[in-house]
Amino acid sequence: MVVFALIIINKAGGLIYQRDFAEGLNKLSINDYLVLAGTFHGVHAITTRLNPLHQHNLPPSTSDVRPDPPSGIEVLETENFRLQCFSTLTGTKFLLFTEPQQPNVDKIVGRIYELYSDYVMKNPFYQLEMPVRCESFDRKLVQYVRPLNSR
Amino acid sequence: MVVYSFYIFDRHTECIYSRLWARQPDRPISSGPPPSRPISTSSTSSAPITLAPTNELNPPRRSTRLSAQDDAKLIFGTIFSLRNMVRKLGGPEDSFISYRTGQYKLHYYETPTSIKFVMLTDTQTLNMRNVLHQIYVNLYVEFVVKNPLSPVEHPGGEGVANELFELALDQFVKGVL
Amino acid sequence: MASSQPVKPPLATQASQAQRGSQPGLRYPSNGKTIYHRPLNRSRTQELSQSSFAYLFGEMVSYAQKRVTGIQDLEKRLNVQGHPIGLKLLDLLLYREPPRTQTRPLHIIALLQFITTILWRHLFSRPADALEKSSNPDTPEEYMISDNEPLVNQYISVPKEMNQLNCAAFVAGIVEGVCDGAGFPARVTAHSVGKGEEGELWPGKTVFLVKFEPEVVEREAYLGRS
Repeated sequence: MVVFALIIINKAGGLIYQRDFAEGLNKLSINDYLVLAGTFHGVHAITTRLNPLHQHNLPPSTSDVRPDPPSGIEVLETENFRLQCFSTLTGTKFLLFTEPQQPNVDKIVGRIYELYSDYVMKNPFYQLEMPVRCESFDRKLVQYVRPLNSR
Repeated sequence: MVVYSFYIFDRHTECIYSRLWARQPDRPISSGPPPSRPISTSSTSSAPITLAPTNELNPPRRSTRLSAQDDAKLIFGTIFSLRNMVRKLGGPEDSFISYRTGQYKLHYYETPTSIKFVMLTDTQTLNMRNVLHQIYVNLYVEFVVKNPLSPVEHPGGEGVANELFELALDQFVKGVL
Repeated sequence: MASSQPVKPPLATQASQAQRGSQPGLRYPSNGKTIYHRPLNRSRTQELSQSSFAYLFGEMVSYAQKRVTGIQDLEKRLNVQGHPIGLKLLDLLLYREPPRTQTRPLHIIALLQFITTILWRHLFSRPADALEKSSNPDTPEEYMISDNEPLVNQYISVPKEMNQLNCAAFVAGIVEGVCDGAGFPARVTAHSVGKGEEGELWPGKTVFLVKFEPEVVEREAYLGRS
């Protein structure tokens, strides 16, 4: 039940935060992470377009419920890890790398988003879409993830 | 468990086979053909013949939807990038198995000869790795590789879409799923 | 007779309109109870969302930051923003005390105890963590109030290059306002003493240094207590 790493990507596809919590993934240079973030951002956009279920019958305009717009990658599975991508309404993507059998990933991602909106968004010294350099965010994140990993 | 489409890519990054099962659940102008009518395309000279009947059945579809070839190219690009990303992060032994979006799930299997099998299904499907492996072992190797009349390489998909292979694939997909 | 006719209806309409309250001007609620009928201490236990305050305070800090050139200046601006709040709070809090203790503090210690208990409880629902007198013989008029985790700093992480900044300068301004209003002119500054290392219990610990003016110390000595 290990959480390996967290990556946050901004609206434009740039890497704004990267942190490892446990061993299990290869360590890459910061350049590699930047390239990875950009690639993933592009792939996410493409997978939205690959949707095989195109709805052509438009619902009548009086209906209250609009069909959901197609979403991009949410989960990526491989043999050694699983990648969960949480895309917020503001275009920020949270990529969480965990073990393939990690339970409750949704709850973890939700909590991380909560910590982000508290300790990064409410910080007057943080500029939007810039790399995240908030000490209290780091501290709270480690405080939250460490007990999860050691359980 | 619904299968939407199936693709095979070879090691020269070309799409050598693709098969779509068109879904028509709630079309107001469904004019008779059975729901899962397969539209198989492979970029041989038979392509224009297969495309024409579909055009008269689904005229609004083609104009706004990506054509099947563009789809195949996008899929290849996507799996190539994801495979490289996974190799970098998980080590050279790791391999990407599947990914899921809100609407569909894509399963991937790569053989040691760099032939890639891709299948798009609905989101509820579980691991299809074995199924893809079966397709490779029992259908592709039997009907394509062991076919004395098919060339060794398949540029443009030549030699893959032979009758036996297509029939067996159809049977397999409908039977197993 | 003819003249009284037109006079009556306007008066009648005016009275009825005032009763209905539909004229532009002061409107009365239907049960006749205005804000003056509400008990004064009603807002004592009401809560405010911490997020709204955090966003507002963040904006205050960014606003100040755009207009200053240095850290000292930024702290001074926050201090100046808190000062009038302190002045007004002093009256309110003294009024809310039970009548026995409703007296203006006359000695430094009484004032500081008022600040660390009543004021802190009003602002942060808990008393301050410690009150100390400076042990340095050169500066006998300095007192230190320490707070392990100032509420205003909870969501703020100061970047490394602005390490000396502590946004609790705002709270220091409030304390300074209270001291000035009570007749003990002082200078209050906020200093962070938590080092922010791993394993430190209170990384955001802040000490408010209260430095009274010399005339206050003189008066204190004259009154016989020090």
